[in-house]
Amino acid sequence: MPMPIGKKAINLRELLQAVRELDESVLYYHIFQSRLAIAQPGEEYPNEFARWAATALQDIKLAEKLSSFDPFDYDNLAQVRQAVVDILEEYLWDIPYVPWARSGFEFYFCEASTVVMRSQIRADTLLKFCESLRKVGLDSMYYHFFEARWRLGVRKADDFSFWIETNFGLPELVAAIRGIDIYFYSLREIRDTLLGLIHQHLGELCDRTQ
Amino acid sequence: MIGLNDYAPIVGQEVIDQLQRLAERLGPRRFIHVNSTRAGGGVAEILYRAVPLLQQLGLDVKWEVIHGDQKFFEITKAMHNALQGYKVHLSPAMLDHYREINRENARKFTWESDFVLVHDPQPAYLINFLRPQAKHWIWRCHIDASRPERHVWKFLQEIVSQYEASVFSMSQFAQNLPHPQYLIRPSIDPLSEKNRELTTAEVQEVLDRLEIERDKPIILQVSRFDSFKDPVGVIEAFRMVRRHTPCKLVLAGGEAIDDPEGPRIFAEVMEAAKDEPDIQILLLPPDAHHEVNALQRAADIIVQKSTREGFGLTVTEAMWKGKPVIGGAVGGIVLQLRDYTTGFLVHSPEGCAFRIRYLLHRPEMARRMGKMAREFVRQHFLTTRNIRDYLTLMILRENPTERIMEL
Repeated sequence: MPMPIGKKAINLRELLQAVRELDESVLYYHIFQSRLAIAQPGEEYPNEFARWAATALQDIKLAEKLSSFDPFDYDNLAQVRQAVVDILEEYLWDIPYVPWARSGFEFYFCEASTVVMRSQIRADTLLKFCESLRKVGLDSMYYHFFEARWRLGVRKADDFSFWIETNFGLPELVAAIRGIDIYFYSLREIRDTLLGLIHQHLGELCDRTQ
Repeated sequence: MIGLNDYAPIVGQEVIDQLQRLAERLGPRRFIHVNSTRAGGGVAEILYRAVPLLQQLGLDVKWEVIHGDQKFFEITKAMHNALQGYKVHLSPAMLDHYREINRENARKFTWESDFVLVHDPQPAYLINFLRPQAKHWIWRCHIDASRPERHVWKFLQEIVSQYEASVFSMSQFAQNLPHPQYLIRPSIDPLSEKNRELTTAEVQEVLDRLEIERDKPIILQVSRFDSFKDPVGVIEAFRMVRRHTPCKLVLAGGEAIDDPEGPRIFAEVMEAAKDEPDIQILLLPPDAHHEVNALQRAADIIVQKSTREGFGLTVTEAMWKGKPVIGGAVGGIVLQLRDYTTGFLVHSPEGCAFRIRYLLHRPEMARRMGKMAREFVRQHFLTTRNIRDYLTLMILRENPTERIMEL
């Protein structure tokens, strides 16, 4: 559940200062969790900083830079924070002015409290797994695909590929799932992509209902 | 009576299951809502459906309404306006009256509860008298408090600070308060008379009754005749469109009786629409939900050209009906509409005219945007999400030190 912290940035310099100082939970919210809290269909930008640069500052060059950084390249949030700070500092260094947000588009910082609960949808075979994927909510997709990367401590491993690898091997399927460029997909698209990959590897096994 | 399972075909069974599990985990908690009206206004609309649904989930829920005299409601209306940034002066006598009416209401409330959610400023002072009667007191602010008037906010801040948490509708409304603040976005009820599916015949019946012909594409704005909804700006935009493309404009809404500028704005609208057969102004009563539903479903493009807006539930309603929406780039409209995806944000009558023309000439794009808008609302702005947020809020407040709760 999002928790506004009552702080805002109205220009790029203020954003930089905030990214340097605010809690990691705030950074985590705007880079990862916001897609669960609210995400437009077909969202173009993978994090809220990039989207703000494009829509509020109307600075596409900065939006491109912020979109191209991949938070899963880093081991911890301190490194992610430094990467964002580096992008913003370098950008501000090179331009003779400070970009300001248009009115009504200020950046409001949030963090979140999270409640995780079992969905009571279980799978012990790949066939059941395919069926279950169609039933679970998008918040489950977020938990097992995004949150898992930090929880498992292996940036490229999510709960699904970890479970398949541990129980069934299937190195090609595992590699394909870990190869999904998740930072650019919506949760719904990730579910569809995942189903597509499993179908591709397991064929009609997934279509069987009995 | 509408039940929780009636929502399953709309939001998916997994959403209903999730609500049931959350409620099971929470247990039969006593949960009291307090506001100042049982009918009329967005808060009452949300509670009207949320309270029975929470009861079905096994919670012991009550909805209490405070009563006051006209003077009290004038004072709280002034507070409301002050939270929205108006310059308002409240004398010490007025503040005493506000406290006194809260004291009188408090005497009538003998309940005991686990949670109390107090909506908006009117009943906020109750906590001073009733605090021992509930374990958790949470203040819910539905108002755009992004730039409150300083003196009134200082007065309210002192009261609100006694609560253990507060809830706002948008992150920009959050304030400097000594307790956790949460975000619960408003929602619409897909099964209400204003939003339920209508048959073609039902829509046509309303159009016939209101004498609206479907001979040209219909541009619609549903809102009060209030300067912040900019109905005159919409007419200006319509006239610009009409120079190039045939269409008609319907402005539907009630007079803003609590707005001293209301009659003047309505006169300006009538003047601006004079001698224009393709503009229809409809003064509808506040409970014309069925008519609003039919008009939104009949429209080709829906406009909400506000110059100031809290959240803009009329935008949500229009999006739910799969319509492309053109909205002023203010308040919660900015959160709901994204250019070329779920609608268009505009800053002027010229911008509004440009986007109306754009959509009239690209019906395929309009259809695609409407479809995406509906899905966006389905995922984020329906009653079931609001219920989930209430349940989650209660779980989080019972475990205030936990940032990640595994149930």
